[in-house]
Amino acid sequence: MKRRGVPIDFEEGLAVTCLALLVAITLLNVVTRYLTAQSFAWTEEISIFLMVVMTLAGAGAAAARDRHIRIEFFYEGGSAKRRRTLRIVACCVTGMLFAALALLSARMVADELRWGETTMGLGVPRWWYTIAIPLLSAAVAARCLALAWRTARTEPGA
Amino acid sequence: MIGATLFALFTVLMLAGVPIAAALGVGGMVAIALANPDTQWFGLLAAPQNMEAGVSKYPLLALPMFVLVGSIFDRAGVAQRMVNFALACVGRSPGMLPLVAIAVAMVLGGISGSGPANAAAVGAVMIAAMSRAGYPAPFSASIVGAAAATDILIPPSIAFIVYSVNVPGASVPALFAAGVFPGLLAGLALMVPAVWLSRRRGYGGRERDLPRPPFWHSLREASWGLVAPVLILGGMRAGWFTPTEAAVVAVAYGLFVGLAVHRTICWRDLYGIFREAAEVSAVIMTVMALAGIFAYSVNTLGMADPLVQAVQAAGLNSTGALAALLVIGLIVGMFLDGVSIFLIFLPLLYPLMMVYRWDPVWFGVLLTMVVAIGQFTPPMAVNLLVACRLAGVRIEQTLPHVGWLVLGFVAAALLVAAFPLLALWLPSSMGF
Repeated sequence: MKRRGVPIDFEEGLAVTCLALLVAITLLNVVTRYLTAQSFAWTEEISIFLMVVMTLAGAGAAAARDRHIRIEFFYEGGSAKRRRTLRIVACCVTGMLFAALALLSARMVADELRWGETTMGLGVPRWWYTIAIPLLSAAVAARCLALAWRTARTEPGA
Repeated sequence: MIGATLFALFTVLMLAGVPIAAALGVGGMVAIALANPDTQWFGLLAAPQNMEAGVSKYPLLALPMFVLVGSIFDRAGVAQRMVNFALACVGRSPGMLPLVAIAVAMVLGGISGSGPANAAAVGAVMIAAMSRAGYPAPFSASIVGAAAATDILIPPSIAFIVYSVNVPGASVPALFAAGVFPGLLAGLALMVPAVWLSRRRGYGGRERDLPRPPFWHSLREASWGLVAPVLILGGMRAGWFTPTEAAVVAVAYGLFVGLAVHRTICWRDLYGIFREAAEVSAVIMTVMALAGIFAYSVNTLGMADPLVQAVQAAGLNSTGALAALLVIGLIVGMFLDGVSIFLIFLPLLYPLMMVYRWDPVWFGVLLTMVVAIGQFTPPMAVNLLVACRLAGVRIEQTLPHVGWLVLGFVAAALLVAAFPLLALWLPSSMGF
Protein backbone atom coordinates (compact mmCIF):
# COMPACT_ATOMS: atom_id res chain seq x y z
CA MET A 1 0.00 0.00 0.00
CA LYS A 2 1.31 3.41 -0.88
CA ARG A 3 1.80 5.63 2.13
CA ARG A 4 1.33 9.33 1.96
CA GLY A 5 1.72 12.07 4.53
CA VAL A 6 4.33 12.42 7.27
CA PRO A 7 6.58 9.32 7.43
CA ILE A 8 6.47 7.43 10.67
CA ASP A 9 10.27 7.77 10.91
CA PHE A 10 9.77 11.12 12.60
CA GLU A 11 8.17 9.80 15.79
CA GLU A 12 10.31 6.69 15.67
CA GLY A 13 13.53 8.65 15.37
CA LEU A 14 12.48 10.89 18.24
CA ALA A 15 11.72 7.90 20.48
CA VAL A 16 15.02 6.22 19.56
CA THR A 17 16.95 9.44 20.24
CA CYS A 18 15.32 9.74 23.67
CA LEU A 19 16.15 6.13 24.54
CA ALA A 20 19.77 6.53 23.37
CA LEU A 21 20.13 9.72 25.42
CA LEU A 22 18.63 7.99 28.47
CA VAL A 23 21.19 5.19 28.16
CA ALA A 24 24.04 7.68 27.71
CA ILE A 25 23.02 9.85 30.66
CA THR A 26 22.49 6.91 33.01
CA LEU A 27 25.75 5.25 31.97
CA LEU A 28 27.63 8.51 32.39
CA ASN A 29 26.14 8.84 35.86
CA VAL A 30 27.35 5.39 36.87
CA VAL A 31 30.84 6.05 35.55
CA THR A 32 31.23 9.48 37.12
CA ARG A 33 29.86 8.26 40.42
CA TYR A 34 32.56 5.62 40.57
CA LEU A 35 35.36 7.86 39.39
CA THR A 36 34.56 11.00 41.33
CA ALA A 37 32.13 9.84 44.05
CA GLN A 38 29.72 12.50 42.81
CA SER A 39 26.51 12.18 40.88
CA PHE A 40 24.61 14.59 38.73
CA ALA A 41 21.33 14.87 40.59
CA TRP A 42 20.19 17.44 38.06
CA THR A 43 20.08 14.87 35.27
CA GLU A 44 17.07 13.25 36.95
CA GLU A 45 14.79 16.00 35.66
CA ILE A 46 16.09 15.62 32.11
CA SER A 47 15.77 11.83 32.21
CA ILE A 48 12.15 12.13 33.29
CA PHE A 49 11.48 14.60 30.49
CA LEU A 50 13.07 12.21 27.98
CA MET A 51 10.90 9.35 29.26
CA VAL A 52 7.75 11.43 28.76
CA VAL A 53 8.82 12.38 25.22
CA MET A 54 9.78 8.79 24.39
CA THR A 55 6.42 7.53 25.66
CA LEU A 56 4.35 9.94 23.60
CA ALA A 57 6.50 9.72 20.47
CA GLY A 58 6.47 5.92 20.67
CA ALA A 59 2.73 6.00 21.31
CA GLY A 60 2.32 7.83 17.99
CA ALA A 61 4.46 5.32 16.10
CA ALA A 62 2.61 2.41 17.71
CA ALA A 63 -0.74 4.02 16.91
CA ALA A 64 0.18 4.38 13.23
CA ARG A 65 1.09 0.67 13.18
CA ASP A 66 -1.92 -0.31 15.32
CA ARG A 67 0.37 -2.04 17.81
CA HIS A 68 -0.97 -0.84 21.18
CA ILE A 69 -1.78 -3.51 23.79
CA ARG A 70 -5.39 -4.59 23.49
CA ILE A 71 -7.68 -7.56 24.03
CA GLU A 72 -7.66 -9.20 20.59
CA PHE A 73 -10.39 -11.75 21.20
CA PHE A 74 -13.15 -9.88 19.37
CA TYR A 75 -10.88 -7.44 17.55
CA GLU A 76 -9.04 -10.10 15.55
CA GLY A 77 -11.96 -12.51 15.23
CA GLY A 78 -15.23 -12.52 13.32
CA SER A 79 -16.00 -11.28 9.85
CA ALA A 80 -13.80 -8.88 7.92
CA LYS A 81 -16.58 -6.32 8.17
CA ARG A 82 -16.63 -6.51 11.96
CA ARG A 83 -12.86 -6.27 12.17
CA ARG A 84 -12.95 -3.17 9.99
CA THR A 85 -15.68 -1.56 12.10
CA LEU A 86 -13.90 -2.31 15.36
CA ARG A 87 -10.66 -0.94 13.99
CA ILE A 88 -12.31 2.32 12.98
CA VAL A 89 -13.99 2.57 16.40
CA ALA A 90 -10.73 1.89 18.24
CA CYS A 91 -8.83 4.46 16.18
CA CYS A 92 -11.52 7.11 16.65
CA VAL A 93 -11.77 6.57 20.42
CA THR A 94 -7.99 6.73 20.83
CA GLY A 95 -7.74 9.72 18.50
CA MET A 96 -10.42 11.69 20.31
CA LEU A 97 -8.88 10.88 23.69
CA PHE A 98 -5.48 12.21 22.63
CA ALA A 99 -7.07 15.24 20.96
CA ALA A 100 -8.79 16.03 24.27
CA LEU A 101 -5.53 15.48 26.14
CA ALA A 102 -3.72 17.78 23.72
CA LEU A 103 -6.26 20.52 24.41
CA LEU A 104 -6.21 20.02 28.19
CA SER A 105 -2.43 19.86 28.38
CA ALA A 106 -2.15 22.99 26.24
CA ARG A 107 -4.23 24.68 28.89
CA MET A 108 -1.94 23.25 31.57
CA VAL A 109 1.11 24.64 29.78
CA ALA A 110 -0.59 28.02 29.40
CA ASP A 111 -1.17 28.10 33.17
CA GLU A 112 2.46 27.22 33.86
CA LEU A 113 3.54 29.97 31.53
CA ARG A 114 1.26 32.49 33.20
CA TRP A 115 2.32 31.65 36.75
CA GLY A 116 5.98 31.42 35.76
CA GLU A 117 6.43 27.97 37.30
CA THR A 118 9.98 26.71 37.43
CA THR A 119 11.33 23.20 37.92
CA MET A 120 12.64 21.83 41.20
CA GLY A 121 16.02 20.66 39.97
CA LEU A 122 17.35 23.12 37.43
CA GLY A 123 15.03 26.03 38.10
CA VAL A 124 14.20 26.47 34.44
CA PRO A 125 10.66 27.36 33.33
CA ARG A 126 8.49 24.26 33.54
CA TRP A 127 6.87 24.89 30.17
CA TRP A 128 10.16 24.19 28.43
CA TYR A 129 9.47 20.55 29.22
CA THR A 130 5.69 20.36 29.27
CA ILE A 131 5.21 22.06 25.90
CA ALA A 132 6.11 18.67 24.38
CA ILE A 133 2.97 17.06 25.85
CA PRO A 134 0.28 18.93 23.86
CA LEU A 135 2.34 18.81 20.66
CA LEU A 136 3.02 15.08 20.83
CA SER A 137 -0.51 14.27 22.02
CA ALA A 138 -1.86 16.09 18.99
CA ALA A 139 0.51 14.04 16.82
CA VAL A 140 -0.81 10.79 18.34
CA ALA A 141 -4.37 11.96 17.70
CA ALA A 142 -3.49 12.76 14.09
CA ARG A 143 -1.94 9.30 13.61
CA CYS A 144 -5.04 7.57 14.99
CA LEU A 145 -7.50 9.60 12.95
CA ALA A 146 -5.41 9.12 9.81
CA LEU A 147 -5.47 5.35 10.32
CA ALA A 148 -9.23 5.46 10.91
CA TRP A 149 -9.63 7.46 7.69
CA ARG A 150 -7.47 5.06 5.68
CA THR A 151 -9.34 2.05 7.08
CA ALA A 152 -12.70 3.63 6.36
CA ARG A 153 -11.76 4.23 2.73
CA THR A 154 -10.77 0.64 2.07
CA GLU A 155 -13.53 -1.73 1.03
CA PRO A 156 -14.59 -4.22 3.73
CA GLY A 157 -12.69 -7.42 3.21
CA ALA A 158 -10.09 -5.77 1.01
CA MET B 1 -23.06 5.04 40.34
CA ILE B 2 -20.20 6.91 38.72
CA GLY B 3 -17.95 4.04 39.69
CA ALA B 4 -20.20 1.56 37.93
CA THR B 5 -20.25 3.80 34.84
CA LEU B 6 -16.48 3.99 34.86
CA PHE B 7 -16.02 0.23 34.99
CA ALA B 8 -18.84 -0.54 32.54
CA LEU B 9 -17.52 1.93 29.96
CA PHE B 10 -13.98 0.74 30.48
CA THR B 11 -14.93 -2.95 30.11
CA VAL B 12 -16.99 -2.42 26.96
CA LEU B 13 -14.24 -0.38 25.30
CA MET B 14 -11.62 -2.94 26.22
CA LEU B 15 -13.61 -5.90 24.92
CA ALA B 16 -14.25 -4.04 21.66
CA GLY B 17 -10.50 -3.96 21.10
CA VAL B 18 -9.85 -0.32 21.93
CA PRO B 19 -6.24 -0.13 23.17
CA ILE B 20 -6.13 -0.73 26.94
CA ALA B 21 -4.37 2.59 27.44
CA ALA B 22 -7.16 4.47 25.67
CA ALA B 23 -9.89 2.54 27.51
CA LEU B 24 -8.28 3.50 30.84
CA GLY B 25 -7.98 7.14 29.79
CA VAL B 26 -11.51 7.47 28.47
CA GLY B 27 -13.03 5.66 31.47
CA GLY B 28 -11.09 7.83 33.90
CA MET B 29 -11.88 11.11 32.16
CA VAL B 30 -15.60 10.40 31.81
CA ALA B 31 -15.77 9.53 35.52
CA ILE B 32 -13.95 12.74 36.47
CA ALA B 33 -16.28 14.82 34.28
CA LEU B 34 -19.41 13.18 35.74
CA ALA B 35 -18.20 13.81 39.29
CA ASN B 36 -17.40 17.50 38.74
CA PRO B 37 -20.29 18.95 36.72
CA ASP B 38 -19.84 22.43 38.20
CA THR B 39 -16.08 22.75 38.19
CA GLN B 40 -14.15 24.64 35.56
CA TRP B 41 -13.62 22.36 32.53
CA PHE B 42 -15.34 19.58 34.53
CA GLY B 43 -12.21 19.08 36.62
CA LEU B 44 -10.49 17.57 33.59
CA LEU B 45 -7.40 19.73 33.97
CA ALA B 46 -6.31 17.03 36.40
CA ALA B 47 -6.14 14.57 33.48
CA PRO B 48 -2.94 15.77 31.75
CA GLN B 49 -1.27 16.29 35.12
CA ASN B 50 -1.96 12.71 36.13
CA MET B 51 -0.98 11.43 32.72
CA GLU B 52 2.38 13.14 33.09
CA ALA B 53 2.72 11.98 36.70
CA GLY B 54 2.00 8.39 35.61
CA VAL B 55 5.36 8.17 33.83
CA SER B 56 7.32 10.95 35.55
CA LYS B 57 8.81 8.62 38.14
CA TYR B 58 12.54 8.22 38.25
CA PRO B 59 12.52 4.52 39.31
CA LEU B 60 10.46 3.80 36.19
CA LEU B 61 13.58 4.49 34.13
CA ALA B 62 14.53 0.88 34.88
CA LEU B 63 11.68 -0.24 32.61
CA PRO B 64 12.93 1.00 29.21
CA MET B 65 16.44 -0.01 30.23
CA PHE B 66 15.50 -3.62 30.95
CA VAL B 67 13.37 -3.77 27.80
CA LEU B 68 16.46 -2.68 25.88
CA VAL B 69 18.58 -5.30 27.67
CA GLY B 70 16.03 -7.89 26.52
CA SER B 71 16.16 -6.79 22.86
CA ILE B 72 19.96 -6.74 22.86
CA PHE B 73 20.36 -10.21 24.37
CA ASP B 74 17.64 -11.45 22.02
CA ARG B 75 19.98 -10.72 19.10
CA ALA B 76 23.29 -11.39 20.83
CA GLY B 77 23.00 -15.12 20.16
CA VAL B 78 23.34 -16.14 23.79
CA ALA B 79 20.30 -18.46 23.78
CA GLN B 80 21.81 -20.97 21.33
CA ARG B 81 25.07 -21.11 23.27
CA MET B 82 23.27 -21.66 26.56
CA VAL B 83 21.28 -24.51 24.99
CA ASN B 84 24.50 -26.19 23.83
CA PHE B 85 26.01 -25.87 27.27
CA ALA B 86 22.89 -27.24 28.96
CA LEU B 87 22.87 -30.21 26.56
CA ALA B 88 26.49 -30.86 27.42
CA CYS B 89 25.41 -31.08 31.06
CA VAL B 90 22.28 -33.22 30.85
CA GLY B 91 22.60 -35.14 27.58
CA ARG B 92 19.92 -35.98 25.06
CA SER B 93 17.79 -38.71 26.59
CA PRO B 94 14.00 -38.24 26.32
CA GLY B 95 12.74 -35.35 28.42
CA MET B 96 16.07 -33.55 28.59
CA LEU B 97 15.44 -31.09 25.77
CA PRO B 98 12.27 -29.70 27.43
CA LEU B 99 14.25 -29.49 30.66
CA VAL B 100 16.92 -27.49 28.83
CA ALA B 101 14.30 -25.20 27.29
CA ILE B 102 12.88 -24.39 30.72
CA ALA B 103 16.30 -23.87 32.28
CA VAL B 104 17.43 -21.56 29.47
CA ALA B 105 14.18 -19.58 29.67
CA MET B 106 14.85 -19.12 33.38
CA VAL B 107 18.42 -17.90 32.84
CA LEU B 108 17.24 -15.55 30.09
CA GLY B 109 14.54 -14.46 32.53
CA GLY B 110 17.42 -13.32 34.70
CA ILE B 111 18.50 -11.00 31.90
CA SER B 112 15.37 -9.71 30.21
CA GLY B 113 12.23 -8.62 31.94
CA SER B 114 9.33 -9.53 29.70
CA GLY B 115 7.68 -12.88 28.98
CA PRO B 116 6.76 -12.62 25.28
CA ALA B 117 10.33 -11.49 24.39
CA ASN B 118 11.68 -14.48 26.29
CA ALA B 119 9.25 -16.85 24.53
CA ALA B 120 10.48 -15.49 21.20
CA ALA B 121 14.17 -15.89 22.08
CA VAL B 122 13.87 -19.41 23.51
CA GLY B 123 11.30 -20.52 20.95
CA ALA B 124 13.48 -19.44 18.04
CA VAL B 125 16.20 -21.82 19.20
CA MET B 126 14.33 -24.63 20.94
CA ILE B 127 11.26 -25.32 18.84
CA ALA B 128 13.21 -26.42 15.77
CA ALA B 129 15.66 -28.40 17.93
CA MET B 130 12.82 -30.16 19.73
CA SER B 131 11.07 -31.06 16.52
CA ARG B 132 14.33 -32.58 15.13
CA ALA B 133 14.54 -34.69 18.25
CA GLY B 134 11.00 -35.96 17.77
CA TYR B 135 8.90 -33.85 20.12
CA PRO B 136 5.49 -32.90 18.67
CA ALA B 137 5.29 -29.18 17.84
CA PRO B 138 2.28 -28.44 20.10
CA PHE B 139 4.17 -29.95 23.03
CA SER B 140 7.25 -27.82 22.29
CA ALA B 141 5.10 -24.69 22.03
CA SER B 142 3.49 -25.46 25.40
CA ILE B 143 6.89 -25.94 27.04
CA VAL B 144 8.32 -22.71 25.62
CA GLY B 145 5.19 -20.68 26.43
CA ALA B 146 5.07 -21.94 30.01
CA ALA B 147 8.81 -21.62 30.59
CA ALA B 148 8.80 -18.01 29.40
CA ALA B 149 6.12 -17.24 32.00
CA THR B 150 8.71 -17.64 34.76
CA ASP B 151 10.33 -14.50 33.33
CA ILE B 152 8.08 -12.03 35.14
CA LEU B 153 8.95 -13.71 38.46
CA ILE B 154 12.69 -14.04 38.03
CA PRO B 155 14.43 -10.72 38.48
CA PRO B 156 14.82 -8.38 36.66
CA SER B 157 11.10 -8.22 36.02
CA ILE B 158 9.17 -5.43 34.33
CA ALA B 159 6.03 -6.46 36.19
CA PHE B 160 7.80 -5.98 39.55
CA ILE B 161 9.05 -2.53 38.51
CA VAL B 162 5.51 -1.48 37.64
CA TYR B 163 4.15 -2.98 40.88
CA SER B 164 6.79 -1.17 42.90
CA VAL B 165 6.13 2.30 41.48
CA ASN B 166 2.42 1.81 42.24
CA VAL B 167 2.57 0.25 45.71
CA PRO B 168 4.19 2.12 48.59
CA GLY B 169 6.27 -0.16 50.78
CA ALA B 170 7.40 -2.57 48.07
CA SER B 171 10.80 -1.49 46.77
CA VAL B 172 12.22 -2.82 43.50
CA PRO B 173 15.20 -4.59 45.13
CA ALA B 174 12.92 -6.22 47.73
CA LEU B 175 10.55 -7.48 45.04
CA PHE B 176 13.41 -8.68 42.87
CA ALA B 177 14.88 -10.64 45.78
CA ALA B 178 11.46 -11.99 46.74
CA GLY B 179 10.92 -13.32 43.22
CA VAL B 180 14.05 -15.48 43.16
CA PHE B 181 12.87 -18.58 45.06
CA PRO B 182 9.28 -18.53 43.78
CA GLY B 183 10.73 -18.22 40.26
CA LEU B 184 13.05 -21.19 40.76
CA LEU B 185 10.21 -23.14 42.35
CA ALA B 186 7.95 -22.39 39.39
CA GLY B 187 10.64 -23.52 36.96
CA LEU B 188 11.06 -26.76 38.89
CA ALA B 189 7.29 -27.20 38.95
CA LEU B 190 7.33 -27.03 35.14
CA MET B 191 10.31 -29.36 34.71
CA VAL B 192 8.68 -32.23 36.59
CA PRO B 193 5.60 -32.57 34.34
CA ALA B 194 7.71 -31.80 31.24
CA VAL B 195 10.09 -34.70 31.83
CA TRP B 196 7.32 -36.98 33.05
CA LEU B 197 5.15 -36.31 29.98
CA SER B 198 8.00 -36.88 27.52
CA ARG B 199 9.01 -40.17 29.15
CA ARG B 200 5.47 -41.43 29.48
CA ARG B 201 4.48 -40.54 25.94
CA GLY B 202 7.82 -41.50 24.43
CA TYR B 203 8.70 -38.10 23.00
CA GLY B 204 12.13 -37.08 21.86
CA GLY B 205 14.01 -40.34 21.55
CA ARG B 206 15.24 -39.67 18.02
CA GLU B 207 18.54 -37.97 18.81
CA ARG B 208 19.32 -39.99 21.91
CA ASP B 209 22.56 -41.34 20.49
CA LEU B 210 23.98 -38.11 19.08
CA PRO B 211 27.13 -37.06 20.92
CA ARG B 212 26.88 -34.42 23.62
CA PRO B 213 28.46 -31.06 22.82
CA PRO B 214 31.96 -30.89 24.36
CA PHE B 215 31.60 -29.62 27.92
CA TRP B 216 34.45 -27.13 28.32
CA HIS B 217 34.11 -25.63 24.87
CA SER B 218 30.35 -25.05 25.27
CA LEU B 219 30.88 -23.68 28.77
CA ARG B 220 33.35 -21.15 27.41
CA GLU B 221 30.97 -20.18 24.61
CA ALA B 222 28.02 -19.85 26.98
CA SER B 223 29.89 -18.08 29.75
CA TRP B 224 29.43 -14.58 28.28
CA GLY B 225 25.68 -14.96 28.48
CA LEU B 226 25.69 -16.82 31.80
CA VAL B 227 27.64 -13.99 33.44
CA ALA B 228 24.90 -11.44 32.60
CA PRO B 229 22.36 -12.42 35.28
CA VAL B 230 25.20 -12.69 37.80
CA LEU B 231 26.31 -9.17 36.88
CA ILE B 232 22.77 -7.75 37.07
CA LEU B 233 21.62 -9.48 40.26
CA GLY B 234 24.99 -9.61 41.95
CA GLY B 235 25.63 -5.96 41.20
CA MET B 236 22.35 -4.97 42.82
CA ARG B 237 22.93 -7.35 45.73
CA ALA B 238 26.39 -5.98 46.40
CA GLY B 239 24.99 -2.48 46.37
CA TRP B 240 27.08 -1.46 43.36
CA PHE B 241 24.07 -0.43 41.32
CA THR B 242 20.48 0.63 41.65
CA PRO B 243 18.15 -1.43 39.43
CA THR B 244 18.30 1.28 36.75
CA GLU B 245 22.08 1.38 36.81
CA ALA B 246 22.29 -2.42 36.73
CA ALA B 247 20.14 -2.32 33.61
CA VAL B 248 22.31 0.24 31.88
CA VAL B 249 25.45 -1.70 32.76
CA ALA B 250 23.77 -4.78 31.28
CA VAL B 251 23.00 -2.75 28.12
CA ALA B 252 26.67 -1.89 27.76
CA TYR B 253 27.72 -5.47 28.51
CA GLY B 254 25.18 -6.95 26.06
CA LEU B 255 26.32 -4.58 23.30
CA PHE B 256 29.92 -5.52 23.97
CA VAL B 257 29.13 -9.25 23.81
CA GLY B 258 26.99 -8.90 20.69
CA LEU B 259 29.28 -6.50 18.81
CA ALA B 260 32.71 -7.68 19.85
CA VAL B 261 32.56 -11.20 21.28
CA HIS B 262 29.90 -13.21 19.44
CA ARG B 263 29.77 -10.72 16.55
CA THR B 264 26.08 -11.47 16.11
CA ILE B 265 25.15 -7.77 16.11
CA CYS B 266 26.66 -5.28 13.68
CA TRP B 267 26.58 -1.51 14.06
CA ARG B 268 23.82 -1.20 11.48
CA ASP B 269 21.49 -3.38 13.62
CA LEU B 270 21.68 -0.94 16.51
CA TYR B 271 19.00 1.39 15.22
CA GLY B 272 16.58 -1.51 14.82
CA ILE B 273 17.31 -2.80 18.33
CA PHE B 274 16.80 0.63 19.87
CA ARG B 275 13.66 1.20 17.81
CA GLU B 276 12.13 -2.07 18.96
CA ALA B 277 12.99 -1.35 22.61
CA ALA B 278 11.73 2.24 22.38
CA GLU B 279 8.43 1.16 20.87
CA VAL B 280 7.85 -1.73 23.29
CA SER B 281 8.65 0.55 26.26
CA ALA B 282 6.50 3.34 24.90
CA VAL B 283 3.53 1.01 24.46
CA ILE B 284 3.82 -0.15 28.10
CA MET B 285 4.42 3.37 29.38
CA THR B 286 1.44 4.73 27.47
CA VAL B 287 -0.70 2.31 29.45
CA MET B 288 0.99 3.57 32.63
CA ALA B 289 0.47 7.23 31.71
CA LEU B 290 -3.22 6.84 31.00
CA ALA B 291 -3.65 4.47 33.94
CA GLY B 292 -2.54 7.50 35.97
CA ILE B 293 -5.81 9.22 35.01
CA PHE B 294 -7.75 6.04 35.81
CA ALA B 295 -6.09 5.64 39.21
CA TYR B 296 -6.74 9.31 40.02
CA SER B 297 -10.44 8.93 39.34
CA VAL B 298 -10.63 5.66 41.31
CA ASN B 299 -8.89 7.32 44.28
CA THR B 300 -10.56 10.72 44.32
CA LEU B 301 -14.03 9.29 43.79
CA GLY B 302 -13.41 6.77 46.58
CA MET B 303 -14.36 3.85 44.42
CA ALA B 304 -12.29 1.32 46.30
CA ASP B 305 -14.32 1.85 49.51
CA PRO B 306 -17.50 0.05 48.38
CA LEU B 307 -15.36 -2.86 47.22
CA VAL B 308 -13.55 -3.10 50.55
CA GLN B 309 -16.88 -2.90 52.37
CA ALA B 310 -18.41 -5.55 50.12
CA VAL B 311 -15.52 -7.93 50.69
CA GLN B 312 -15.75 -7.41 54.44
CA ALA B 313 -19.54 -7.69 54.44
CA ALA B 314 -19.22 -11.01 52.64
CA GLY B 315 -17.53 -12.18 55.84
CA LEU B 316 -14.42 -13.44 54.10
CA ASN B 317 -11.43 -13.94 56.31
CA SER B 318 -7.94 -13.15 55.10
CA THR B 319 -7.41 -16.55 53.49
CA GLY B 320 -10.79 -16.56 51.75
CA ALA B 321 -10.30 -13.07 50.37
CA LEU B 322 -6.80 -13.92 49.18
CA ALA B 323 -8.02 -17.09 47.47
CA ALA B 324 -10.84 -15.20 45.74
CA LEU B 325 -8.46 -12.48 44.54
CA LEU B 326 -5.94 -14.97 43.22
CA VAL B 327 -8.61 -16.87 41.29
CA ILE B 328 -9.79 -13.58 39.78
CA GLY B 329 -6.18 -12.70 38.98
CA LEU B 330 -5.72 -16.04 37.24
CA ILE B 331 -8.82 -15.54 35.08
CA VAL B 332 -7.96 -11.95 34.20
CA GLY B 333 -4.40 -13.04 33.45
CA MET B 334 -5.73 -15.23 30.66
CA PHE B 335 -6.94 -12.13 28.84
CA LEU B 336 -4.54 -9.35 29.77
CA ASP B 337 -0.81 -8.90 30.16
CA GLY B 338 0.67 -8.57 33.64
CA VAL B 339 1.52 -4.88 33.52
CA SER B 340 -2.01 -3.88 32.45
CA ILE B 341 -3.51 -6.05 35.20
CA PHE B 342 -1.39 -4.36 37.85
CA LEU B 343 -2.28 -0.90 36.59
CA ILE B 344 -6.01 -1.60 36.45
CA PHE B 345 -6.40 -3.47 39.71
CA LEU B 346 -3.77 -2.07 42.08
CA PRO B 347 -5.77 1.08 42.94
CA LEU B 348 -8.56 -1.27 44.07
CA LEU B 349 -6.35 -3.92 45.66
CA TYR B 350 -4.13 -1.62 47.70
CA PRO B 351 -6.88 -0.72 50.24
CA LEU B 352 -7.68 -4.43 50.59
CA MET B 353 -4.03 -5.15 51.22
CA MET B 354 -4.12 -2.58 54.03
CA VAL B 355 -7.30 -4.02 55.56
CA TYR B 356 -5.97 -7.57 55.70
CA ARG B 357 -2.42 -6.47 56.51
CA TRP B 358 -0.91 -8.54 53.74
CA ASP B 359 2.75 -7.99 53.19
CA PRO B 360 2.91 -5.91 49.98
CA VAL B 361 6.02 -7.72 48.73
CA TRP B 362 4.59 -11.17 49.32
CA PHE B 363 1.25 -10.20 47.80
CA GLY B 364 3.06 -8.77 44.77
CA VAL B 365 4.91 -12.05 44.24
CA LEU B 366 1.72 -14.09 44.59
CA LEU B 367 -0.24 -11.86 42.26
CA THR B 368 2.60 -12.03 39.74
CA MET B 369 2.58 -15.83 39.98
CA VAL B 370 -1.11 -16.18 39.17
CA VAL B 371 -0.78 -13.61 36.41
CA ALA B 372 2.15 -15.62 35.03
CA ILE B 373 -0.07 -18.71 34.93
CA GLY B 374 -2.61 -16.76 32.93
CA GLN B 375 0.09 -15.86 30.41
CA PHE B 376 0.25 -19.46 29.15
CA THR B 377 -3.28 -20.72 29.82
CA PRO B 378 -5.35 -21.00 26.62
CA PRO B 379 -7.22 -19.49 24.87
CA MET B 380 -5.77 -15.98 25.13
CA ALA B 381 -2.31 -16.47 26.58
CA VAL B 382 0.27 -13.98 25.27
CA ASN B 383 3.38 -16.14 25.82
CA LEU B 384 1.73 -19.25 24.43
CA LEU B 385 0.58 -17.29 21.38
CA VAL B 386 4.15 -16.27 20.59
CA ALA B 387 5.37 -19.85 21.00
CA CYS B 388 2.52 -21.23 18.87
CA ARG B 389 3.27 -18.73 16.13
CA LEU B 390 6.92 -19.87 16.08
CA ALA B 391 5.94 -23.55 16.11
CA GLY B 392 3.26 -23.08 13.45
CA VAL B 393 0.51 -24.69 15.52
CA ARG B 394 -2.92 -23.50 16.61
CA ILE B 395 -3.40 -22.70 20.27
CA GLU B 396 -6.12 -25.40 20.66
CA GLN B 397 -3.56 -28.09 19.76
CA THR B 398 -1.60 -27.35 22.93
CA LEU B 399 -4.53 -28.36 25.16
CA PRO B 400 -3.44 -31.98 25.80
CA HIS B 401 -0.06 -30.77 27.07
CA VAL B 402 -0.39 -27.38 28.64
CA GLY B 403 -2.86 -28.42 31.36
CA TRP B 404 -0.16 -30.40 33.21
CA LEU B 405 2.17 -27.42 33.13
CA VAL B 406 -0.58 -25.16 34.47
CA LEU B 407 -1.14 -27.63 37.31
CA GLY B 408 2.56 -27.61 38.15
CA PHE B 409 2.69 -23.81 38.24
CA VAL B 410 -0.49 -23.63 40.36
CA ALA B 411 1.11 -26.00 42.86
CA ALA B 412 4.13 -23.68 43.08
CA ALA B 413 1.85 -20.66 43.64
CA LEU B 414 -0.05 -22.53 46.39
CA LEU B 415 3.23 -23.30 48.13
CA VAL B 416 4.21 -19.62 48.13
CA ALA B 417 0.73 -18.70 49.40
CA ALA B 418 0.97 -21.25 52.21
CA PHE B 419 4.58 -20.46 53.13
CA PRO B 420 5.19 -16.71 52.71
CA LEU B 421 8.79 -17.22 53.82
CA LEU B 422 9.55 -18.77 50.44
CA ALA B 423 9.23 -15.28 49.02
CA LEU B 424 10.12 -13.15 52.03
CA TRP B 425 13.15 -14.93 53.46
CA LEU B 426 15.63 -13.69 50.86
CA PRO B 427 14.69 -9.99 50.92
CA SER B 428 14.60 -9.93 54.73
CA SER B 429 17.92 -11.71 55.06
CA MET B 430 19.41 -9.26 52.55
CA GLY B 431 18.08 -6.38 54.58
CA PHE B 432 15.70 -4.81 52.05
